Amino acid sequence: MTTSYELDVNGVTYPVNADQGKNLLSVIRENVGLTGTKEGCDDCECGACMVLLDGQPVNSCSYLAVQAQGRQVTTIEGVMDGPEMHALQRNLLEAGGVQCGFCTPGMIMSAKALLERDERPELDAARIGLSGNLCRCTGYAKILSAVEATAVELNT
Amino acid sequence: MAIAEVPRFVRADGPDKVTGSGRYAADINLTGQLVAKFRYAGVSHARITKLDTSAASAMPGVFAVLTAADVPDVIYSPVVPDRRLFAKDVVRFEGELVAAVAAVDAATAQAAADAIVVEYEDLPIVDDLEAAMADGSPLVHQDWESYAVTGDTVQRPNVASFSSIEKGDVDAAMANADHVVMSRYVADGCHALPIEPRAVVAQWEGEKVTIWTSTQVPFDARAGVCETLQMPASKVRVIVPHLGGGFGGKCGFHFEAHVAALAKAARRPVKLVFSRQEEMVAPDRRREGMIVDITSGVKADGTLVARSGWIAIDNGAYTADAAFFPQLAAMHVAGPYAMEAVKIEASLVYTNHQPSGSVRAPTAPQACWALESHTDELAAMVGMDPVEFRRANIVDEGIEGAAGQVYGEIGLRRCLDAAVEASAYGDDLPDNEAVGVAISWWPSFPGPSGAYIKIDSDGSGMVITGAQECGTGSVMTLRMLAAKELGMEPEDFQLVYQDTSAAPYDTGATGSQTLLNNGRAVVEGAREVAAQLRDLAADRLEAAPDDIVLASGKAHVSGSPDKAVSIVELAGVAAEGEMLIGKGSGTPPEYPSVSAVCVGDQGLAGWAGPQFACHAVHVRLDRETGVVRVLDVSAAHDSGTIINPVAAHGQVEGGIMMGVGQALTEGTQYGDDAKQRNTGLLEYKLQTAADAPTIHTEFIEIPDPNAGPYGAKGLAEAPNVPTAAAIANGVAKLVGMPVRQLPMTAERVWMTSEGMSS
Repeated sequence: MTTSYELDVNGVTYPVNADQGKNLLSVIRENVGLTGTKEGCDDCECGACMVLLDGQPVNSCSYLAVQAQGRQVTTIEGVMDGPEMHALQRNLLEAGGVQCGFCTPGMIMSAKALLERDERPELDAARIGLSGNLCRCTGYAKILSAVEATAVELNT
Repeated sequence: MAIAEVPRFVRADGPDKVTGSGRYAADINLTGQLVAKFRYAGVSHARITKLDTSAASAMPGVFAVLTAADVPDVIYSPVVPDRRLFAKDVVRFEGELVAAVAAVDAATAQAAADAIVVEYEDLPIVDDLEAAMADGSPLVHQDWESYAVTGDTVQRPNVASFSSIEKGDVDAAMANADHVVMSRYVADGCHALPIEPRAVVAQWEGEKVTIWTSTQVPFDARAGVCETLQMPASKVRVIVPHLGGGFGGKCGFHFEAHVAALAKAARRPVKLVFSRQEEMVAPDRRREGMIVDITSGVKADGTLVARSGWIAIDNGAYTADAAFFPQLAAMHVAGPYAMEAVKIEASLVYTNHQPSGSVRAPTAPQACWALESHTDELAAMVGMDPVEFRRANIVDEGIEGAAGQVYGEIGLRRCLDAAVEASAYGDDLPDNEAVGVAISWWPSFPGPSGAYIKIDSDGSGMVITGAQECGTGSVMTLRMLAAKELGMEPEDFQLVYQDTSAAPYDTGATGSQTLLNNGRAVVEGAREVAAQLRDLAADRLEAAPDDIVLASGKAHVSGSPDKAVSIVELAGVAAEGEMLIGKGSGTPPEYPSVSAVCVGDQGLAGWAGPQFACHAVHVRLDRETGVVRVLDVSAAHDSGTIINPVAAHGQVEGGIMMGVGQALTEGTQYGDDAKQRNTGLLEYKLQTAADAPTIHTEFIEIPDPNAGPYGAKGLAEAPNVPTAAAIANGVAKLVGMPVRQLPMTAERVWMTSEGMSS
């Protein structure tokens, strides 16, 4: 059954008309029109669809969009600070932590949430903080370096 | 490093990828677009007794339903053509396409696919490699003798391709050995598993079709469409948006023709996006399961004298690109060792499993795992340290390899030394930790490739290349090469790529070949432009063209940096007359000849630009559970000159992590019905950031004159080869014997440690 509601995505309010059962990922990609959030498994296992809900990381493939009403949804398109890249984005590029890039948006969302709850995570905490995001290209090494570089940069 | 003046810069596609603005195939939507869904066989081996699409076709919102009857009856695949776009009469694996539907939305398309009536008569399932090769086994392909195989390919009942490598008299050499060791190792199949599931969008305009697709090989994809839909290349354009990884899984030609045919029949654009489960079951690109029997003869002093081998490789139901697998597997079971006699036979065996195809270093990680585990057994038999045993027997400059190739200057010995030195090998470690060592090799694949280079009137450069970027970094490396030749910066160049209507042919992101082949093409094209710039500058500066040097964005007279003109200025002059345009295709390096007798030769017994590696892996075993953790990997690689260090390190780290997965958790499980049981990421376990080891990488840079630009060789596949083997040798030290099945899951490790067969 189609229902109408409003969704706050990256600080913009969008009117949505969609089936009640439609997941947040599909609403973001198809109704809101932001395709930076990716679908890798539709099973909560790969993390490519990670977005922030009031700052908390959520696999948007397994979250009903109607439940996100009244909450702030942040996608990869909302990470930049105006025209400037977020330090995480810049450091990922400089470290060589981006290869095919398909996991990258979700990885950035998880890393952002991690650094917001733990300003200077230990290496093991960073590993665990990113363990919900699968990357097949990098072996994670340069991603972890970028997260560490960002933690240092944001706290000095 | 020959080209290290530019240590690192941000990849051209990087900003798109970190900001979410980059478009992948699934992000493309066209006006009027329909959704494609497939009807899969769902059974592993059966005869189709009824196929009725009338109910599906009659559903509102359904625009096209296609089966084998609706497309040209073409049997395709390179070397061993043995399949059609849709099953005709017989289905041979669960993911085989029986029909395709295009409808207004996904739900309607799926309902229509489900409404197609298919009835089957069961045929006997063939899923045991040895039984399949036995006399009287049911056949997967009744008509195998009618297939139009090419080259020297040898076929047998249920064997799509057989190869053997034989040199010297193995029986005589074995008789002279002091010890003969026999081993059997069995590897499960596994998946390439790029994080992006594939997507295809096709749109017709008149007689021409444009296809946006997530392929690693756009020109192969175009060729597949042309062959199966019987169209000229001039009517087919394949464009790859950003590609979300491949690892071989997106090599070859897959579903582009199905979607194009649907779009033609529906007279609307059609889009296909795979689910993860479809991605695991339907493509003909799975890493092959394998049985390896190896017997080696050694002298008491540790000299390897002879090796015989028998290899059975699970081809699955169709051959895809796998005809060369037997020869490549045989080379990997021979390994980079010297010996006087060798005889290895390998068969690519038809089963009712998902078809196998090139996944990152096909056959090599499994074969290397078997060989290098066996090598530690040999060392133990003669009472030698495994590293010393390898030092005594590996190939080196001037030494003849198993197939009879004599090597030039190679870095294998230095790789072995460097990886062992950087590791904790030989250190006192806790009794649940050990370091395992494995060496490996991998060929480079010379082939044709092309590029255009131009400099526009404002001095900005453009590389127009057939090359494909799948994450490996060619967007960086190809621009670095052009910049180096023209005295410009990599950032001065834009890259036009992944479009078959824009650029000359390239093999694609396959066989670690982009730098090797397209790199040569880019250098050649850039040198043509450099000559044009020198001519222009020579006129301006009243010097001979040969005395003009291109550096720092300027052309100056050699020895007189002040006597200079900027490339921007020269570009402006050129734009008024003879423009700055170059083209390159390079001459591929030659394949070396070999002395071995090769039955079923696929041209891969002699290797141009052979790559070498050694990994030393520090593992920890939880003896109560059998869980193995990889703590630290020391990797040393000879891939010739390293052009782009950032990309090179990324390839090694990613390849190692993929190898850790294949070693410990990634394996396809089959039911008695030959269907896969673990097709979701909850059941098929990839390694996560929490599992990531510390990785130390060293490059042994020996420029190879018979390889790519500046002596570079390939690198994308090599790091995947020895990781599982090195982990296995560490685990074997802790368990007291090798775990003879791959992946070495906790259960298998624990059972082996308890003396039970896994």
